[in-house]
Amino acid sequence: MEKSDQKVGKVFLIFAGISILALPLIVFSAFSSEPKGTETSVAESQDMDFDDSGKSIFINYDQVSKEYLEGTSTARTLDEYYSLRQYPGSPPLIPHKVEEPDLARVECLTCHARGGWTEELKKNTPVTPHPEQEACRQCHITATEANLFVETNWMSVAPPRLGRTALPGAPLPIPHDIQMRGNCFACHVGPGTVATIRVEHPSRGNCRQCHVPVTNAPQWQRKPKS
Amino acid sequence: MDITRRDFIKSAAMQSAVASAAVLFPGISFGAWKTVGSGGIEWKKTPCRFCGTGCGLLVGVSGERAVAVKGDPNCTVNKGLCCVKGYHSVQILYGNDRITKALVRKNGKMVETPLNEALDLVASKMQETIKSHGKDAVAMYGSGQWSITDGYVSSKLFKGCIGTNNLEANARLCMASAVTGFLTSFGMDEPMGSYDDIDHADVFITWGNNMAEMHPVLFSRMLANRKAKNHVKIIDFATRTTRSSQASDKSILFKPQTDLAVANAICYEIIRNDWVNWDFVNKHVSFHKGKTNIGYGTQDHFKFKDKAETVDFEAYKAFLEDYTPEKVEKLSGVPAKDIKYLAALYGDPDQKIVSYWCMGMNQHTRGTWINNLVYNCHLLVGKISEPGNGPFSLTGQPSACGTVREVGTLTHKLPKGVVMKEGARKLAAKIWDVPVENIDPKPTYHTVEMFRALDRGDIRFMWIQVTNPMVTMPNLNRYRDGAKKDDRFIVVSEIYPTPTSDVADVILPAALWIEREGFFGNSERRTQHNEQIIPMPGDCMSNTWQIIEVARRMGFEKQFPWSEETYIEDCWNEYTQFHDNPKHRMAPYNDLKAKSGIVWPYVNGIETKWRYNAKYDPAAEGDSFDFYGKPDRRAWIWLRPYEPPAESPDSEYPFWLNTGRILEHWHTGSMTRRVPVLHRAVPEAYVEINPDDANHLGITNGSKVKVSSRRGSVTMKASINGRGRPPRGMVFVPFFDESYLINEATLDAFCPISKQPDYKKCAVKLERV
Repeated sequence: MEKSDQKVGKVFLIFAGISILALPLIVFSAFSSEPKGTETSVAESQDMDFDDSGKSIFINYDQVSKEYLEGTSTARTLDEYYSLRQYPGSPPLIPHKVEEPDLARVECLTCHARGGWTEELKKNTPVTPHPEQEACRQCHITATEANLFVETNWMSVAPPRLGRTALPGAPLPIPHDIQMRGNCFACHVGPGTVATIRVEHPSRGNCRQCHVPVTNAPQWQRKPKS
Repeated sequence: MDITRRDFIKSAAMQSAVASAAVLFPGISFGAWKTVGSGGIEWKKTPCRFCGTGCGLLVGVSGERAVAVKGDPNCTVNKGLCCVKGYHSVQILYGNDRITKALVRKNGKMVETPLNEALDLVASKMQETIKSHGKDAVAMYGSGQWSITDGYVSSKLFKGCIGTNNLEANARLCMASAVTGFLTSFGMDEPMGSYDDIDHADVFITWGNNMAEMHPVLFSRMLANRKAKNHVKIIDFATRTTRSSQASDKSILFKPQTDLAVANAICYEIIRNDWVNWDFVNKHVSFHKGKTNIGYGTQDHFKFKDKAETVDFEAYKAFLEDYTPEKVEKLSGVPAKDIKYLAALYGDPDQKIVSYWCMGMNQHTRGTWINNLVYNCHLLVGKISEPGNGPFSLTGQPSACGTVREVGTLTHKLPKGVVMKEGARKLAAKIWDVPVENIDPKPTYHTVEMFRALDRGDIRFMWIQVTNPMVTMPNLNRYRDGAKKDDRFIVVSEIYPTPTSDVADVILPAALWIEREGFFGNSERRTQHNEQIIPMPGDCMSNTWQIIEVARRMGFEKQFPWSEETYIEDCWNEYTQFHDNPKHRMAPYNDLKAKSGIVWPYVNGIETKWRYNAKYDPAAEGDSFDFYGKPDRRAWIWLRPYEPPAESPDSEYPFWLNTGRILEHWHTGSMTRRVPVLHRAVPEAYVEINPDDANHLGITNGSKVKVSSRRGSVTMKASINGRGRPPRGMVFVPFFDESYLINEATLDAFCPISKQPDYKKCAVKLERV
């Protein structure tokens, strides 16, 4: 009996102590609760899906290691890049063999989501700019035959020229469509990318503060006042 | 160290994976293209040329050439993503052997001929044939790849002006069972739901349907929904293991034809567990049974007419006693626990469920029945006509719905209603400005019977547009021999030489897709307009205008008065008069021009995404469901039994033959084989064999195998563990390759109600060559 009373007393003392220590905190939070709550709810309700999913650039930037950023392989060339395509922006062929089922899913994204060195192919793996699309082979297929069924008269536009700055030393515009290819880091940063389109300053992160898309829009002219 | 067989295969595969394309094909650059112009790209919207998904594309145009493709982000079908066929679709325009001049057979040889002369010949030959053999000796065979106006003017010419019901389209081979399924269960054609269901459903069950390859964009939308929500399940219910099986959460295999029994067993379980939504069933469902032992239509002049008899729920319950999961397990090979699992998914009131199907259920000698039975599963639990809940029949072709089903380019149909009904004939005669007596009240031939009539000589003249029946007809040998007979006259409107143009007496050069203005209508009742984006090459002409030119030559100027500048718009304005009611109102021309497709019924500027539900459908009365297609304003549950297929494997022909498509090729490959990447990916057809069967027969991957049925045989390469894996006792052959005409082996048995042939089941034997 006695013992347990003592225990209750001790517990009470500890509780009182904590309360005194916590008092300013409680008072502070009581006064500040309203604006804080509002702040939180605004942040939570913000939809980041705008500006061509611009937030993903920052997320990717955060996730890419410093070592990766400094990768300097020159194995992949622009010629090779276009040799897998039918026009600028078409989904590229898969240039290596793909194991058709053992009825397990072919895990393209194991390698192509984050990239890195592949021992089998002795290459740095290129990274997909749209890893959220998981049915890879809906668009990407392999070639198993070199000859055509019937010759074709296919033509398309020339790939964008490199180095088209508006002023000497000015940042390059984005010469390609951003749809499906809005993740700058996938193709312009890291050892698996084509050396000639790799950027030297990926650590700056906010790519589109300097690089803006180029369009065919005619020069703007102010309409004369009627 | 132990090396298992699997490890060994894996390490071998890994070594071979080292070979990259550059090593496989030294010196070949797969993407080297000639460049055109230096100007920029202008982007124009169009529906995709290929499947019934109806993706919105933006075609990049430089000068007068289409040079690139991207997905149309404003199109809610695909939301900016395409499949590999869509991305390379514009390359179908540029094969070197494009037909750009009319060709006429003179002394057995096809000779380049001025287009006007060829059109004169078509018109005079048709008139001559009508004079000597009667109006039912001329026929038109069209397509679910026809633009809506192509189908509309051919219906007007053949049914309204000439007065014959000899008008069919290849959609008979692809969608007829879906149509009769809808009509028998709901009284109106086409799905009640829309693709929006993909974003709302918790469970997807695909019935005999390899969506990952055939409707890849919709499939990847399901994957995206599953990824976003975690709990979402995709169940693959099929006769063969495919990419869709690989991606699904559970794959359940059944023996061919036994889907009938499994669907009934699911309903048995729903009732046994009292998962029935009684409120829905009592208010909105009625029960019916039809004839049984209905035959297979393999004989000429086969006739069948179903007769509905109304029954009650107790009769339905008693009928289902034959379909306990345990009994059905023996027949179907599906474990009873898997049947119960499927039933529990349909039965769980907290799970929204969508069923998808396409050719597996439609190309079926009981195609109408299996469509009815899957509707039963949804109707018993009331999961229909609301976001995320509903059965959804996918279409194969870009305008099977728009042109064939909505315009009604089938022997018994008119743009609204059927030829047998006086009211429908009167309406058509009024809009078409023809005497009502012109329209024959008796249907003539469905597709298979039409080609039989051509063989017999009942039909002497046939005009074929936008389809390749000399590759796609089942039991092909008979129908090709028939078409080649001396006093038959075949006109083919084509873009490239095909086995069908090989049997033609006149080939008319056709404008393709974005070379002309037109409309498609996709699976979800979406009408899609495209303007002419690039010029037509040579003498090419739209199919619509070809028909108008011939009609005028036959003396029907009054019915075809339009100018070449505005005829597409004029046709649309005339055609839509047929559907001017809240159950089917189509969007006006200018709205279609502005938007990436509009879903009908389009009433007061609002699309109807869920029919038969008063919340969404302006034609539905009351405040809940209203199945206004049927006179009792209820959806019909049908008592449809299991009946065996027309031909099953036996000791002489021990394998099932299953045929179909693959991701890379569209139908008979006349377009996709001229697309470099697609041809190079899959340059030829093959026969998929189960690894154990191959082992047993001593067949190795890539070795030659002769596949023979009672009707014909094809020798081709074996594919083991390739794109798909059939179960033991089945082989699968894709039909895109004109060098390996697998339809010489298939059987021309069809569903007696829909008259759609079954390309998925006949018996073959295999021999090593």
